[in-house]
Formats: sequence, C-alpha cells, structure tokens
Amino acid sequence: MQLQGVIDAAVAEVGQVLLGKEPQIRLALCCLFARGHLLIEDLPGMGKTTLSQALAEVLGLSWKRVQFTSDLLPADILGVSVYDRNDASFSFHPGPIFTQLLLADEINRTTPRTQSALLEAMAEGQVTVEGETRPLPDPFFVVATQNPIHQSGTYPLPESQLDRFLMRLELGYPHPRAEREMLLRQQVTLANRDVLTQRIDGAQLDAIRSAVGQVHASDNLLDYLQRLVAYTRQSAEFEVGLSPRGALALLESAKTWAVMHNRGHVVPEDLQMVLPAVASHRLVPSGDYAGGGMALIDLLQRNVDVIRP
Amino acid sequence: MKPQQQVPRNALVWMIICLFTLMAPHAARIPLWILAIYVFSAVWRMLVYSGRWSFPGRRVKILLTLSGFAGIYLSYGSLIGLEPTVALLLTAFALKLIELTSRKDAYVLLFLGYFICITEFLFTQDLLIVLYSLLNVLLITTALVALHQPGEHQFNRKTIRLAGIMLLQAMPLMVVLFFMFPRIGPLWAVPAKSQTAKTGMSDFMKPGDVSRLSQSADVAFRVQFDGEIPAPSQMYWRGLVFSTLQEGAWRSLRYYDVPVAERRPQEVLTSGEPLNYSIIMEPTQQNWLYSLRYAQAEHLGVMAAADFSLFLLVPLEDQYRYNVSSWPEALLETALSDWRRKTELQLPAQDNPQTRQLAQELRRGVASDGDFVKAVLNKFNTEPYIYTLQPEALPGEHPMDQFLFRTRRGFCEHYAYAFVVMMRAGGVPARVVAGYQGGEVNPVNKTVIVHQFDAHAWAEVWLAGQGWVRVDPTAAVSPERIEWGLEQALAGEGSFLENSPLSPLRYRSIAWVNLLRLRYDALTYRWQTWVVGFNSEQQFQLLQNVFGEISARKFAAVLLGSWALVLIPVAISLLRKRATHQLSTLDKQYLIFCSRLAGVGIDREPGETPDQLAHRARQAMPALAARIDQITSLHGDLAYREKAGSPELETDLLRQFKKVVAGFRPRKGQ
Repeated sequence: MQLQGVIDAAVAEVGQVLLGKEPQIRLALCCLFARGHLLIEDLPGMGKTTLSQALAEVLGLSWKRVQFTSDLLPADILGVSVYDRNDASFSFHPGPIFTQLLLADEINRTTPRTQSALLEAMAEGQVTVEGETRPLPDPFFVVATQNPIHQSGTYPLPESQLDRFLMRLELGYPHPRAEREMLLRQQVTLANRDVLTQRIDGAQLDAIRSAVGQVHASDNLLDYLQRLVAYTRQSAEFEVGLSPRGALALLESAKTWAVMHNRGHVVPEDLQMVLPAVASHRLVPSGDYAGGGMALIDLLQRNVDVIRP
Repeated sequence: MKPQQQVPRNALVWMIICLFTLMAPHAARIPLWILAIYVFSAVWRMLVYSGRWSFPGRRVKILLTLSGFAGIYLSYGSLIGLEPTVALLLTAFALKLIELTSRKDAYVLLFLGYFICITEFLFTQDLLIVLYSLLNVLLITTALVALHQPGEHQFNRKTIRLAGIMLLQAMPLMVVLFFMFPRIGPLWAVPAKSQTAKTGMSDFMKPGDVSRLSQSADVAFRVQFDGEIPAPSQMYWRGLVFSTLQEGAWRSLRYYDVPVAERRPQEVLTSGEPLNYSIIMEPTQQNWLYSLRYAQAEHLGVMAAADFSLFLLVPLEDQYRYNVSSWPEALLETALSDWRRKTELQLPAQDNPQTRQLAQELRRGVASDGDFVKAVLNKFNTEPYIYTLQPEALPGEHPMDQFLFRTRRGFCEHYAYAFVVMMRAGGVPARVVAGYQGGEVNPVNKTVIVHQFDAHAWAEVWLAGQGWVRVDPTAAVSPERIEWGLEQALAGEGSFLENSPLSPLRYRSIAWVNLLRLRYDALTYRWQTWVVGFNSEQQFQLLQNVFGEISARKFAAVLLGSWALVLIPVAISLLRKRATHQLSTLDKQYLIFCSRLAGVGIDREPGETPDQLAHRARQAMPALAARIDQITSLHGDLAYREKAGSPELETDLLRQFKKVVAGFRPRKGQ
C-alpha cells in the first residue's frame, strides 16, 4: 500500500537527524497519527527537541517551542488581549500555543497553574481567553519534554494529567555506532543542519487517520487487551491500574500501529509494541514494589497470556 | 533487598498479635521477665518500623541471647527439662522478632509459632486450650497469608477470612491424618514435667495429707459405667494400700521388699455379674490406678499388685483411659500366708502405748475378731469424736494416743490410722487403703466425676472365712460423708473448698452455673474419649473393624487411599474451575499445536505472541518452517482478521486449520 511507503520514508527522514532511534521515531509518529499528545521523558541533551522539530518538518507542520520555567504564566502560552490605541479596542495577541506542533520543553519545571492551562488546551483543542473561545489549528500536537522528576526544582505532573498524554517515550543513550556516526557528522545543533523534506502532507495524514478508523480489532484481540487491563487492576504490584481511558488509548495506538504496518486488523504484536509507551506513565507501582516502570510493563507483558487466561 | 523479600506492614501486625496470643497460655508458668521480653521486643520492633530505632547490632543480639540463657538457668536452675526448654523457646520466639527483616525471617518466626502452639499440649489437653490453639493456628496462618499480600496496606478482615478458608479446606486431610496416620511411639522422650505442686495422692500418708488434698477442686478421674451407677456409698475407689507404719507415716510395701512368692495376687473366685466401667485418669506422675474392688483390667501395661490394687509400669504423664471389671462381692485372699499375716500385724514397738492397751482391752472383752471390729467402730460412733477438715496437729511420738484421748477431732486418715493401729494391736491383720470415695454423677452424660476433694482413707481388715473386708471408720463418725459426700459432711463447718473461691463447684447452688459446668464436663469427657484417648491401640482396632486384618501393606494402601479420597475432590474442583473458561475450537487447536511444540522442547511463554513463537520454532526446526508458518498465519487470520467471508468459509478455514494442526507431528532434531 502506498501509505506504508510514505510512513517509512518519514521515519527514514527523521532518522537522518536522530540516529539509531527508529523504534522511538515510529512510536512518536504513531502517537501523532492517533491524534495523541506525546511526552518525552529523558535527561537533557538526549535529542528530545531534535525529535520534535524533525517531526514537525517531515509532517510539514508549523512549529513553536516554549521553554517552561518556574515564572512562566498561562498568558505567556495562550496569548493576551492588548489595548490598541489606534482602534480604541482590544486586540488579541495569540500566544505560542496557536501552532500545529508545540514543543513544551521541560514541562515539569513550571508551576501547576501553567501546566494545567496547557493541558486544558490539549484536551479540548481550544483556548478561552477573557471569555472568548478560540479554536486551535488542526492538526494540533503537543510534544512535551520532561526531566526525570528526581531532579530538583521540578513540579511533577500528577497522574491525572499524565493521562492526557497518549504516549510517553524515553529516548535513552544512542547506540555507540550511531553515536560515532553523529560525532563524525558533527551535526548536533539545529542551526547548522538542513531543514528536512516534508514527507507527509495533509491529505496523507487524513488518509492515515481515516485508515485507523477502519482497522478491525477481533474478539480474540479485545480479550487479550482486557486481560492486560484486568491484570493491572488486580495484581498486587500495581497501586493504580489502567483506566478505561487508558484501555481506549491502548486500542487506538495499536490500531494506528497496525495501519503503519499495512494491516487492516490488529494483532497481539501491535498491542505489545505500543504497550510500554502507552501504559508506563498511567500505571503506579504499589508501595512494596521497588522495580522501575518499564520492569513493571515487562512483568505485565510476560504474565498475561496472549492466547487464553 | 528485593521487594518480594520485604515484610509488609499488615503481616508484621499479625505477627505481633500471634506473638502474644501464643505466649498467653504459658504466661502463668513462665517467669515474669519473659513477659517483659515480649513487651520489650514488640515495642522495639514497632519503633524499628516507625524508623525511630534501628535493628539490633551483632553484639546486642549476642548479649540478648546469652542473657536469655542465663535468665532461664537462674529461674529454673537448669536448661534441661520441659519447662526450661519451653521457656527457652518462648524467649527465642520473642527475641527473633527484633531481628526480623526479611520474609525468610518471618517464615522462621511463624513456623516456630506453630511449634510453640503444640508445646501447650505438653502441659494440658483441656478442651478450651484446644479451641484456643485453633485460634492461634488461624492467626499464624493469617500472618502467613498477609506475608504474601504486599499490596494490602490496610489491616483488614479479608486476610483472616482467607486463612480461615484455607484451614477449613485442610480440615478433611487433618481428620484423615488423625485417624489413619501411623501412631509411632516417640523416638525421643519428652522431658518429664517437674511440677511438684500437682495435687494428688502421694505414695505415703501422714495425718493431714488427705485433708490437704480435700482443698482441691481438680478432677482426679472420670468414670463411665456400662450399666447402673452404684450408690455413692458403694463407690470406694481403691488406689494405694498402705501396709507398713514407719515414723508416723503409712507406706505401701515396696515391690522388692516382698518375697518373690508374695508378689503376685492370689487367685480370686469371682461370681455373679461384674461391674464394667472405664476410667479416664488425669495425669498424676504416679504409677497407681484407681478401681473398685475387686478389679481386673484387661489392658496392656496395667498390672495387679498382691494387695489387689492396679498399677502401671510407667508413671502416668498423660491422660490415661482403661477399662475395668469389678466384682464387689468377691472374697479376697481367704488364706493368709504367714509372711503376710506378720506384715499386716506389724506395729512400731514403742509407739502409742495407750492406744495399744485400749485395743487389747477391747479385744479381750469380745468373742471374735468381727465383734472386735464392731466394738471399735462403736467407740468412734458413740464417744464424742468429730469429723473435721481442720483437725489439730498431733505432735509428739504417739500421735494416735494424742488423737484418741486428747483432741478427738480428725479427718478420714486419722480415723483410718487409729483404727488400723487398734486392729493390729488387737491381733487382727489390717491395713490402710487410700483412694477416693463417692463422686459426682453428671446427669448430662451419666459419668461419675471424682474430684480431689473426694480423697478418702479407710481400712481393710482380714477376717477368717471372709478374707479382706473393707471397714470405713469415718462412716461410724460421720455417715453423711459416705452418703452425701464431703460438702454435706462439712456443711456446718463451712470449710469446703474455702481456698478456691473461684471454683465453679462452689456455685453449684446456682442452677445455670451448675448446668454449664456439667455440660462442659460432659464435653470434656467426650473429647478425652474420642480424641485425646485415641491411641495406637484404638486406631488399630478401628482399622481392623473397618478393613479387617491389618498388614503393613494394607495399612499403607488404606492411608494413601484415604488421602486420595480427600484430595481427589479438591483436584476435580480445581479442574472444573479451569474448564469453566470455555476454550474456543480455534484456541483449543492452537494449544494442541503449542503442546506438540512443547513436546520437542519449544515451550510457549504466556506473553509470547503466535508470531514470536513461530519465529522461535522456525529457527529450531527449519525443516518444518513452512508448516509452522502455515499454521501461524491460518491462526492469525482466524483469530484477528475481520470475518469478511460467509460463515461457511469461516468453518471451512477452521476445518483446514484443524487438519493442518493434526498433521503437525514434530520430532526432536528435525
């Protein structure tokens, strides 16, 4: 099918600037195709910004970046009405949120007040400033980055707000071979690299999105999904299990993943591929469980039978 | 430490509860400082939990352990013996708590807890203790369950309910084990209890001994008659026969002091229907048993002495049940040997001159030995002798002279003593018999309960032609004692059980208290008969009754068979549970494929998808790659693809899948 070629080309294009991170690039694209917002959590300098900018470029989207700081106010993102002396009226100066792809850098460095203003906009696709509701452009994506919360001076996002992000990714250190190639190319900063070619246009994006709606999820697959969800709710390792919204997110992502792999139906692999990204930030390990979030997903995946209970 | 190894908070709470409930029944027996250690350990552990204290260091631990040993040595004077050992165990149990960090430690503590629960039975096997121990087992099991509920932060009833269900499920197996498991004798001896405070008869008798015993409301033994219960005045439970008087104390003959020819009882001619009954004795730490005269016991280990009493070869450490047949009218030892006559007439040469003189005078005044007996009893009856639980002490070398001519107040042993001295002085062979007289009939289950306060001493005299005849001088002084029991006899004095204000026996006049007491006693009797008294002999009998002649092989078969009988329903219910998840034909067929793969060493992991499995299988068996792919892709189509075609097409595919799976027969090394 044609779509798959387009998607593969997009992945390869982004791969030029983010070396050796194909799975993450695919998941990030999957998240955007599924109309979800993306949270990238990693240490500084791992390529979070590069990834989000590259995504914007291959999708041909307008792109803005907001660096979140502790003194950032909601108006700094949403925009303000300014009195125009010539017109003798107020005119609205839209904030950086009025863009197609917003990179919210270090979202956990700002105060909860500003965080929730952003998250509200993400959930509703519109902003209300001074009683006037203004729609955000379509498509509208937020790629937020976050430092691991044990760094000082951060306001960790509560679970209820983490839930607004469809996926959370960790980029991790590059493979030594990829890192060597990067060092040879000396293409680290955005300034000295060429703008990537747009690989997916608006029509293709719509095509992908409508294809996702057509994907079939069989009873067998839904059984497996429900077993996964039930396990997180019943097992002692989890303090908080997956919510129904989490289950929906899982299915939606899996369907998108199926489309990206040129399939009209979801197979268990699709679920397993998106599971870590979709579920890890929605699950809270219980107090007695000391393993990490990813180990928890691993446990979930290993213990839930694909075929039958 | 891995998270699985941590001890959850609720488990810790359950453990501390267990600690105290397990120690509680021992509390009265152990020194006070051990109780202090329990409180100390619990407080320390809780402070550790709340982070205010830390776990003890190595040195502190060694110090605590050594001081535990030292304390027990100082308290008991020894580290060996039942009480010190149990105290040691209890101390270790408490101290273990403060070094409890991981789940492994918790296992040690809780399994030790089960063991401590059992040690209680070395001291008492009372029904209430059994119920209490069941509670303890439940609590320990609850703690074990809680140990495996890391997510449960609340201290809730769910845990205890689960433990209860588990124990109930174990119940049938317990019953089978109780009845079927071979009762092998102990491989090592449990150290004997060193209690000296235990009430009961001792092997010698001085004036005042029986009256002391009468202060106790403890049960001596319980009797169940096969037929009618005899009148209380006929129930003289013979225990010890005292034939020698030395230094003011009556003693029984030592076995080895008796000539060989005199060691066995003489043949007794029995006639008429015997009284059949069974007795359950409380442990006495002594050898002798109680019975009505003339008794025969068909029991392994029960011996008959030359004086027609019964005894055991080993001291009675536990409750003991034996069956006896008695012929009250039988004539005992009609022909008296010279040695025995001499023995039963012996008196210390210089003692009690006044008494002897009186006896000789009385004997001269009558024609026969029988009349002499009557004359002495008449003297007790008509002269102002008083039956009392509070007799005066009898100091000096001649206690009977003091008693007969000065104080004239005495309990049964005084009268029996005086009577036998007089008989012997008058030339009539006589001896003192110690035992119990009467007993309380429990209307609930028709058992006779004999208490310590029924302790009694009476006399036997030998009369020509009649042999040994029972004479109870107390009956001449206080007929009420024999007819109605001690309480009535002492009604005016108010001294009955005055030292046991809490004994329910004192409140017999309150109807419901009395009924409750009797009901409980009946329950205890049943418990003792069916559970405590169920020994290897009875087990053998039961198995023989049910299964015929028992051989080792048959026994093993019965044992295993009964286990199977209990476990099979469990297995069936487990299988049922699994079967309730109806597998679709598709899954079933796919699982057949998986089991074939497992047969050649490729086991499916639960989280593995069909494609991943196929990938592994292909690599292991390249020759079958095509087949594996075909099956996997067919399964994928059927399981996950949208059903586009008609139902017929679907069933056709399924049939095809079945066929392919059926044809898939991998062999190792393919």
